[in-house]
Amino acid sequence: MRDYESVGTWLAGLREQWGEEPADVEGRLQTLARFCEFAEREPDALISDCSRAVEGGKRIRIKARRLYSEKIDEFQATLGSDARAQARTGNVIRSFMIHNGIFMQGGVAT
Amino acid sequence: MEFKEVVGRRRSIRFFEPDKTVEREKVQVILETARLASCAVNAHWLRAIVVERDKIPPEKLSQLKTPVAALALDLAPLHIYFFCDLGVVKRMKGSRLRELVDAGALAPTHGWSHKFVDDFVYPQILEPMTNNLQGYLAAAMADCGGAAQNALLAAFDEGLGACLNTPNPMLTKQVFSVPEDWVSLWVMLVGYPAESWEAGGQRPRPPFEELYFDGDVNTPFKRDPAVVKRLEQAKMIQAPAPLPGRREEIRKLAERLGLPE
Repeated sequence: MRDYESVGTWLAGLREQWGEEPADVEGRLQTLARFCEFAEREPDALISDCSRAVEGGKRIRIKARRLYSEKIDEFQATLGSDARAQARTGNVIRSFMIHNGIFMQGGVAT
Repeated sequence: MEFKEVVGRRRSIRFFEPDKTVEREKVQVILETARLASCAVNAHWLRAIVVERDKIPPEKLSQLKTPVAALALDLAPLHIYFFCDLGVVKRMKGSRLRELVDAGALAPTHGWSHKFVDDFVYPQILEPMTNNLQGYLAAAMADCGGAAQNALLAAFDEGLGACLNTPNPMLTKQVFSVPEDWVSLWVMLVGYPAESWEAGGQRPRPPFEELYFDGDVNTPFKRDPAVVKRLEQAKMIQAPAPLPGRREEIRKLAERLGLPE
């Protein structure tokens, strides 16, 4: 997983945000791998699906972002655990998207 | 709280205690403060619709969310939707200006009279102004901004947190079925902060002398360090962001509220 550019960007973003790589990084990479299998897309493709190059930068593909946001919700719902644990897993994927520049918000799971 | 400290404490709060109710009396204080803002020609364009988040039907709440403000709308227990009532000038026909003459706020010393309002100001200035939508909207919105700023400061003075967001204007009008001549402006999200009141520190501002000028645009207004020190003592100027511990605070909030990091 670490060979993918988008994964490298994600991990660099986490290091920049939190000052270090998360202690559970291997678990997060496995979660991302499971999601990619679920969505039938590789990590770099998830990101490129959600954005397109325009003059001066990039634009978010809103429909694709919505599609993957729903896919994340579906993915976390397949996990046989409580809502908080499901959200925690889904948030790993959201974190991947966010640190790759794809703005995304999950709901509140208290 | 002293005024300067209120100004210093105000910052956009984005983590709210989602289930802690905002007391109705505090909401009224916020609205009363907005009502007392300065307002051109005493028109008072600002309107507000107050809603508790949990009383908004889910399908309507969904319409009110924009991609960058969805989470904040979910977290804030109270929303105040601000609108600009563009129809007010034509409805009032200068009557509120005449009120200012009666109040002694606009006096003959400064050239004002009822007759001046009725024969000149309303028909020759105010009424035509409403036909130039771009200019009229800019002027009305500027005043609405002042009132909204009053509302923000009042929220912080009441021990609350708040943040302005911009909802989709067309959808907001639809959701609340407001009159056609109302323009949707902002939603003020209100609640008790889940983050510390410092919220990581005072947010960055451009250098003072890039913003303000002394007499002409080529002469910056020199910032006096003694005044800065006085404002620091009055807690208007506070420790800048990011404060130590902010990352850990965000991480704990993410964990508590089930948010991505």
